[in-house]
Amino acid sequence: MKRLAACLLVATLGLAGASAQPQEGRDRPIMAAGIAQDRIEVEVNYSDSRIVVFAATPQPENPTSGLAVALVGPQVPQRMIRRTGAGDQRIEFVAAPLVFAIGAEKQVEESVPSEVMVQAGLNAQSSALPRLDQLLSPELDAWRAAFVNLKMEQGLYTFGRTEFRHFDGGLRRATIDLPQNAPPGEYTVRAVAFRDGRMVGESRQTFTLARSGLDATLFDLSRQHGLVYGFVAVLFGVLVGGIAAWVGRK
Amino acid sequence: MLIHLPIAQVAVDPLILIAIGMLVGFLSGLFGVGGGFLLTPLLIFYGIPAAVAASTQANQILATSIAGVSAHWRDRQVDTRLGTLMLVGGLAGSTIGVGVFSILKAFGVVDATISVLYIIFLSVIGGLMAWESVNALGKAGGGDPGRRTRLRAWMRGLPMKRRFPRSGLYISIIPPIAIGFFVGVLAAVLGVGGGFILAPAMVYLLGVPTRVMVGTSLFQIIFLTAYVTFLQATFNGTVDLVLAAVLMVGGVIGARYGAIAGRRLKAAQLRLLLALLVLAIAGRLVYELYVEPQPEYRLEEAR
Repeated sequence: MKRLAACLLVATLGLAGASAQPQEGRDRPIMAAGIAQDRIEVEVNYSDSRIVVFAATPQPENPTSGLAVALVGPQVPQRMIRRTGAGDQRIEFVAAPLVFAIGAEKQVEESVPSEVMVQAGLNAQSSALPRLDQLLSPELDAWRAAFVNLKMEQGLYTFGRTEFRHFDGGLRRATIDLPQNAPPGEYTVRAVAFRDGRMVGESRQTFTLARSGLDATLFDLSRQHGLVYGFVAVLFGVLVGGIAAWVGRK
Repeated sequence: MLIHLPIAQVAVDPLILIAIGMLVGFLSGLFGVGGGFLLTPLLIFYGIPAAVAASTQANQILATSIAGVSAHWRDRQVDTRLGTLMLVGGLAGSTIGVGVFSILKAFGVVDATISVLYIIFLSVIGGLMAWESVNALGKAGGGDPGRRTRLRAWMRGLPMKRRFPRSGLYISIIPPIAIGFFVGVLAAVLGVGGGFILAPAMVYLLGVPTRVMVGTSLFQIIFLTAYVTFLQATFNGTVDLVLAAVLMVGGVIGARYGAIAGRRLKAAQLRLLLALLVLAIAGRLVYELYVEPQPEYRLEEAR
């Protein structure tokens, strides 16, 4: 198993927002940050990867001061079907992350209300955005809950699997596992600082999960040159079967 | 060690896939069936997306059928003339079957009806085969069923007779084409390869010797799976060549040993095992339809 590490250095998280006590939502302070590795390549021997985030939380001596880290992406339209006695029902999320991994320190889980987590964009269900005409559907919450459950079954949505380590001076290191079946695309890593049940700072970093080697060649061939891929697939089967038949005669 | 599959986009243990391929390849070499009915659910159970599992199994079966048929070819137990006629009927039948399926689907409520008919069909075929082969085993020899049965009396009056020396038959070309056509329609409507329907039909309706049936069935499967692989890879892009390669490794080994094992069995024993396999498939469908809970929600698979 090959492990790749993406280290996101979030050096100044929370310092600017520590005294401002901003409102949640649009007033979130945006922190400066640096990325050590912004590209992870997926090859045939790829199995998983780890995202490592370093962050300094404001006022670490405050027992409610802590960090939540989320790995989100790529945002794509997704459809769901519900089987009912009267036939199948469908819903389309115009944008929902294919991967959603979140972890928070214990003091954050205990002190931050769920609505604050929703406002901070750290709630998986709220990240699935329905079409406008389905926004007021009374069954939207049920659809979203089922969507998250199905994604959890696929291993693409994970909760509470983040490891946190504390260092001197309030520095934290958070490690998130990137699911082994995470599809290639643009991902965002968010580190959000909380204190007294409120959000006090945030940093966002993006990285690209890309295909390479044989993995990329086969995928691109199948999508861009379907006819060639069809011939290659048949020839491959004939070749392997032919070799096996030849070996069997020996 | 895990490997990443480029089309399925999951990481898998190749040793488990090789074992699955070996099991299915063994059955393929032994009975002359493709094994898609077993391979597809096993792959889905292991975590491969359904669309990729259904498409890739055809590619794997293509390779194992070639490996399997070579062993039967050496034993001069492949009737290419008969196989070609059934293949022509099968391709025509599957093309029309796709249209029939679309019409049935447009009327709704087709899924449950097809499943019930399928279960009845398999149970009757499997039950009759098991009964006949047990009786044959009880008598001395345990060979092939008698040639001049009432079941085949209707065929003798048909025109356009040809000799099929490998099968030892002198019959009209209409029944092989018609059987191939019927199996093709069923295969398209039911979404299966149809090998386990074709195999008993060849033995009981046409009078093909059991061992020639196995080789001839595999011969036909080669062309059908090549056709399906090409269509799925070209138009859906759902054939995963890395997955297929790993399955093929186990499949071709299993197919060789399946063919060898088949030589050591009496024809009636082979038919009895095939009957049990057909009944097991019927049992699995009953389980899926009436026992296994269906999920209320599911994600629509993106292409």
